[in-house]
Amino acid sequence: MSGFSSDYLQTRLTIYSNRLLGFDRLVGFIQYDLERIVAEVQELTGHYYQLDGGNSTPIANQLTNRALDDFLILVRPFSGSERRFFYFAIRWFELSNLKVLIRGKFSGAETTKIEQELIELGQFADLPIKKLLETDDPYEMLRLLETTPYAGIVRRARHMYEEHGNDLFLLDATIDRSFFIDLVQRTRFLQDEDAEQVSRVMGGLLDRFNLLWLLRYRFSYGLSAAKSFYLLTTTGNKLYSSELMRLARMGSIEEVVAALPDPYRDLLANISVIADMEMVMEYYSMSIAATALHGKSSLLASSFAYILLREAEVRFLQALIKGKQLEFDAGLIEQALGVRS
Amino acid sequence: MWSSPIAMEKVSLYMVDVDAQRAAMTLAQMAVMHPLESQAGDQELQDYPAAPYFSVYHDLNSRFGKIAAYIEAPFEQSATTTGIVTLDELQGLDAQLKELWAQVSRLEEQLRRQNERINATRQLAGSLQKFSSLDLDLARLRRRGKFLRIVVGTVPAVNFDQLKRALSLASYMINRFYSSEGIDHVVVFGSSELAEEVHDVLNSADFRGLKIPEEFSGSPSQLQADLNRQIAQENKIEGELKRELSGLLSTHMPVLQRAHDLLILARPYASLATVLRGKGGLVFLQGWVPARRDREIKGKLERDLQFPFHVEFSAPEQNEFDSVPSLLKRSWLLKPFQGLVRNFGIPSYREIDPSGLFALSYIFMFGMMFGDIGHGAVIVLLSLALWRRFPGVTIVGTLAGMSSVFFGFVYGSLFGYEHVVQPLWMSPMHDPVRILLVAVLWGAGFILITNLLAIRNYIASGLPDQALYSGKGVAGMCFYLAACYAGFQSLAHGRFSWLEALLLLLPMAVILQFQWRQAEGGLMERVLVVLIEGLEHIISNVSGTLSFLRVAAFSLNHVALAAAVFAIAGMMDAFGHGITVILGNIFIIVLEGAIVAIQCLRLEYYEGFSRFYSGKGKAFEPLKIET
Repeated sequence: MSGFSSDYLQTRLTIYSNRLLGFDRLVGFIQYDLERIVAEVQELTGHYYQLDGGNSTPIANQLTNRALDDFLILVRPFSGSERRFFYFAIRWFELSNLKVLIRGKFSGAETTKIEQELIELGQFADLPIKKLLETDDPYEMLRLLETTPYAGIVRRARHMYEEHGNDLFLLDATIDRSFFIDLVQRTRFLQDEDAEQVSRVMGGLLDRFNLLWLLRYRFSYGLSAAKSFYLLTTTGNKLYSSELMRLARMGSIEEVVAALPDPYRDLLANISVIADMEMVMEYYSMSIAATALHGKSSLLASSFAYILLREAEVRFLQALIKGKQLEFDAGLIEQALGVRS
Repeated sequence: MWSSPIAMEKVSLYMVDVDAQRAAMTLAQMAVMHPLESQAGDQELQDYPAAPYFSVYHDLNSRFGKIAAYIEAPFEQSATTTGIVTLDELQGLDAQLKELWAQVSRLEEQLRRQNERINATRQLAGSLQKFSSLDLDLARLRRRGKFLRIVVGTVPAVNFDQLKRALSLASYMINRFYSSEGIDHVVVFGSSELAEEVHDVLNSADFRGLKIPEEFSGSPSQLQADLNRQIAQENKIEGELKRELSGLLSTHMPVLQRAHDLLILARPYASLATVLRGKGGLVFLQGWVPARRDREIKGKLERDLQFPFHVEFSAPEQNEFDSVPSLLKRSWLLKPFQGLVRNFGIPSYREIDPSGLFALSYIFMFGMMFGDIGHGAVIVLLSLALWRRFPGVTIVGTLAGMSSVFFGFVYGSLFGYEHVVQPLWMSPMHDPVRILLVAVLWGAGFILITNLLAIRNYIASGLPDQALYSGKGVAGMCFYLAACYAGFQSLAHGRFSWLEALLLLLPMAVILQFQWRQAEGGLMERVLVVLIEGLEHIISNVSGTLSFLRVAAFSLNHVALAAAVFAIAGMMDAFGHGITVILGNIFIIVLEGAIVAIQCLRLEYYEGFSRFYSGKGKAFEPLKIET
């Protein structure tokens, strides 16, 4: 990357990172009404959003599209393996569409209902949404999906479905797990410094998913230690394979928490509900990303950290706005978002 | 050469709903109407009567497409292109195709699984081959030991490491003894007590175990024969499934043929789903039609519709120009050039279609840059040879080749030989400065023509201020003429007096004043915008004119390349000389010919079209029967 492009990207990242709302502010929004949330988001981010009443595009899509527009600007200075990594990382957004499609078809949902839940991804879209919606049965859709870049992920999801039926958590976890494995593989093509720093940012995320999956597989689904471990993804920053194997043998959530390495043991002490742990772990993994974004990380690692933070922000806002539109009270929304009062 | 798109009229058709399909079919048969989303009467006509029809049509079309993908033979063309397809007919057919597709999809899924089974068995057979060199009694693997359990099989290589660690949690071991094409061939062994738990993990890892038959008690080679029989059996099942699928489709061929025919007839009305508006029994349709065909359309509707209707035709208002589609005049000679123009954009309704100018200037410049009797003749012959497969290439290539031949006589060049034919004018190398001057003059003329076209387009689009005062308007043309005059005076006579300065400053002042009026924002912003745009105008005129120097540069380049070929050939013996000259000429025709073709296109697009042509028009896409 040329010096000019590097300076340009650095400036862009500074501008974008200053526009991120931050978890504490987002939690504060829960108490506001819908119009005020939108107004605050507009004022703080400088982006114009319109509630569905006056705009044909639902606000969930507006939030995603705005984020993707910004990613598109960030991706421009990159080339080669860095650019390919960046594009693959952004596929994280499309995974939500993939999940909606698979869940929807297997549960026999109406096409219009599935369509409403899909997010428009513009030029980042690889899925032939129209054709997929036109499929008459779930297996026809799976066959079509196996012709897309998500073929590997879909094959594993199919396998999981045939093994365990239409269990939403297992299907989602299988899709995410496959994605992370492919994403980690792509870091091998990066330059050493980039690969190391990106892996550090990603490590927090992988620890979070591995720990939560392990807890759910072992104690919610009652799977064996061997199978629970097998269903985990690539290892992250603190929870290495040996650590996870040791944890998989434990007999209760409390035992697992007590045996966790620092900082997770301290973070999760006195929490016994997996949903609560999820929020704490997400907050921690995002703090690692925020440190990378504001610290002296490489441009690729900073950009990747920005994607993670922005995705989390968009996801939070979408859930919050949906809750407000459904007229849920603040307590229920806090519960749904996993925010502990 | 200066034609605009064909004049259009807006047609507004009011009729009773039962006649809507007939009207759609009549208009589709005539292929004269480009449907228009109605703006009028929005409050009164809120229904979309063709929407339910479109919904069924869309489902049927989608299912038909999916099933038709399995049929290799083309469908017979329907004998009739008339007739009304009712909603009930479409729904009935859709139900039949839905059922048929369910059967096809089920068979396809079975085939997919069968294919997976065949692949897995093949992998196991491959795995077994690794044992064949060992004199091992595989029956031992079948026996379930009291303490020890051993399984042989395959697992995707990507799953191996994670599986190995996971199995270690169940006190099992896994060893890879062969690896190929992303598949690991493995032996798994451990305590019999945990066999169930391990089976679950292996299943998740997509492990395929080698099944040893109960009666089996032999060596690997015997088991190999057993697996080969299994593969043959599985292939047979696959073949049966394919035959079943083929039989199913053959049985339903009449239904599919009928769906094919009805979809063609249903399409015109279905495609009006978002434009046909209605309320109660009244429907309203609007569109654009060629102006000269209004009587014919009215007459045909009077013959075909059963109930009274009202139709009116009106010329487009100025505020409607953007929505009027462009229907270009057809000419077989200009057709390939129109294609090249369309790559840049479709002319707006009131814009000049530049295809004629494009064709003439392109051919002229190609010949000037690639002037050689022999090379031109070869291009003509090669182009003619492509007539059947690529008629467009033949037309462009033949004309460009003929132009090349003409300029070959002008330059006196035959396959690079400069002394065989007496030049009508001179060889470019004879006086390079002169040919450079001619190229600049050609460029200046070209730019002036584009300026005139821009003025004409502004006037036709109702923008008289732009036509008079803008940089592409009369003021811009005056500035360019003054710049040419000043340049000539300065270069030819070394003179640049107050007259030249005045001639330049006056039109520039008009342009800047116009830009000042157009600019928005604060004072400084406006000053900056006006200054930058003024400067940009001067630079673009100078660079645009100089850009045409390439026309001369390539004609010189052509001679130089030929000279290089002859220089190399001169170093060879007689045979080598001949071969070098032939290969060198082929090289010149292919490589330089291609470069010149692209450079001409570049000059047309960037120095020509960007000055007068928006290309923002919409293509005329009439409602029609698509067979």
